[in-house]
Amino acid sequence: MNIILISVVIVNIILALLFSLGAAPILVWVERRVAGFIQDRLGPNRCNIAGFRLGGLIQSFADMLKLVFKEDFRAGNIKERFIFRIAPVIVFVSAFLSFMVMPFADDLVIGTQTFIMQGLPLDFGVLWFLALAGLSVYGIILGGWSSNNKYSLLGSVRAGAQVISYEVSMTLALVSLLITYGSIHLVDIVNFQSGLIFGFIPAWGIIMQPVAAIIFIITSFAEANRTPFDIAEGESEIVGGYHTEYSAMKFGLFFVGEYVAMSASSALMVTLFFGGYNIPWVGTDTLKEHFDIVMIAIIVLLPLLSYKFGGWILKNNVWPKADDKRNNESKWLIRILVMMNIFVVLLLGSFLFFGVSATTTNIAVAIMQVATFAIKLLLMNFVFVWVRWTLPRFRYDQLQDLGWKVLLPISIANIFVTAIAIVAFGA
Amino acid sequence: MGIKIVPRYGKSLKDRLYLPAIFGGMKTTISHFTKNLIDTSNIKTECYPEMQPNDITDRYRGVHRLTHREDDSVRCVACFMCATACPADCIFIEAVERTDGMAEKMPAKFSIDLLECVFCGGCVEACPCDAIRMDTGIFTFIAEKREDFVLNKEQLLNNTARKEEN
Repeated sequence: MNIILISVVIVNIILALLFSLGAAPILVWVERRVAGFIQDRLGPNRCNIAGFRLGGLIQSFADMLKLVFKEDFRAGNIKERFIFRIAPVIVFVSAFLSFMVMPFADDLVIGTQTFIMQGLPLDFGVLWFLALAGLSVYGIILGGWSSNNKYSLLGSVRAGAQVISYEVSMTLALVSLLITYGSIHLVDIVNFQSGLIFGFIPAWGIIMQPVAAIIFIITSFAEANRTPFDIAEGESEIVGGYHTEYSAMKFGLFFVGEYVAMSASSALMVTLFFGGYNIPWVGTDTLKEHFDIVMIAIIVLLPLLSYKFGGWILKNNVWPKADDKRNNESKWLIRILVMMNIFVVLLLGSFLFFGVSATTTNIAVAIMQVATFAIKLLLMNFVFVWVRWTLPRFRYDQLQDLGWKVLLPISIANIFVTAIAIVAFGA
Repeated sequence: MGIKIVPRYGKSLKDRLYLPAIFGGMKTTISHFTKNLIDTSNIKTECYPEMQPNDITDRYRGVHRLTHREDDSVRCVACFMCATACPADCIFIEAVERTDGMAEKMPAKFSIDLLECVFCGGCVEACPCDAIRMDTGIFTFIAEKREDFVLNKEQLLNNTARKEEN
């Protein structure tokens, strides 16, 4: 045990917390704003702290505060108090833990030590995710059953049936993928994807295994209980489904758990199919070799992008009442943006001028990979939200038809095709 | 008499694959999203109550006003016709004797509780001397306390018509 080890572990845990738990309020905000924009409305834009709205992000914190301070009501006919109380915790904890194995960056080398950049440094990431994602439905089933309410029970029965039918196809899709990659360690999987096919296409999972990718994406929508597979919640049919009887922070845990599960699914999708922390065409070694060019590129590109972004802020972040304090926000945001630009450019400039040690390069590359992972994660989460506000909900029998009659045969066929190809042409 | 053959959809391979239709739908939603994200002024939502709608017709019954005589004194004669006609019982009048010879009575207090008012226009119909009108064009009245919704005589006299009278 030494200081570097402890600090890297702490940084990893903080990153995992940020990407899962910290992402929840951001994702709620993204969901509501994107829903608004897709439907030609504005979405939440009013809530502010001293005029700072951050595009409506403050609303999420207000909502969370409300949930925390609300009365924790429990109906008198709920007899299984312990199970009722533990159910949202199961959902939340399993969603949260399943995020912990996602690699944020390539193995970090400091001096002679090598660190796996994951919340939990495990080398069987895929299995860990599958186990915990399967566990989270227990929370939904137990919560719905212990609510002692017909609608809740219906919701939990639906959730159970849905997860059983989709977990099969999901796992089988993963099997064909693991045959291709030849490893269940997520870092190996991502490094496999850093190569190129035919010299110019990134060897991402979605290009190597398009069928498995589509099946996995569909099933992880079902796994995360998101539209079009949110029949467990089904607010237009069965009130609120499994969380009908829940209020205050118990409901809040279900709510946050849904978003954490969505974020975890997105992270796994990014890791398996979209190159994980890889920047397209630029692998870890290339980054380390040509770090000077990368720094120059950042110094040139960052101010340009910031200029564009600042213009967008000035154009769109206005409040109709002229003397409102919300109108001061843009000014401050631009100042913060300029300060950040100056800081980054000065830092990278000093690196360029004085030269960098190997450790600094490694850490800087890790930071860039974490940023890449974050951007990909956000985009994938956006796809979740985007699909939710495009597609209607499946009917229950359509859902089972799709799961058993379409996805399952295709995923099994895909395994055979993949295995034959591997045997015939070599890995 | 021709036979109209209704085409049946959903049997072709493209329809049965589902994915082309899903991608088509996602294309529609993303086009709305990017259009609105690039320029939020494309969205027609008005930030109510900071922005008020301006397409109210002249005949819209808004918040009341008390009209003036030629010398700017109150036209109301405190006859209680409006309070009697009011189905919501939201008009409260206290009458005093009028000393300047214009009429026999005038209101000392004249208040309307806008939280009770149903904006039926019954008071305007009932008024024998055109002293109350609902042509201010204030179609929404914002206040922070219940008490602020009770308009007194001065506030009603200060309300003006939305459009100049012809």
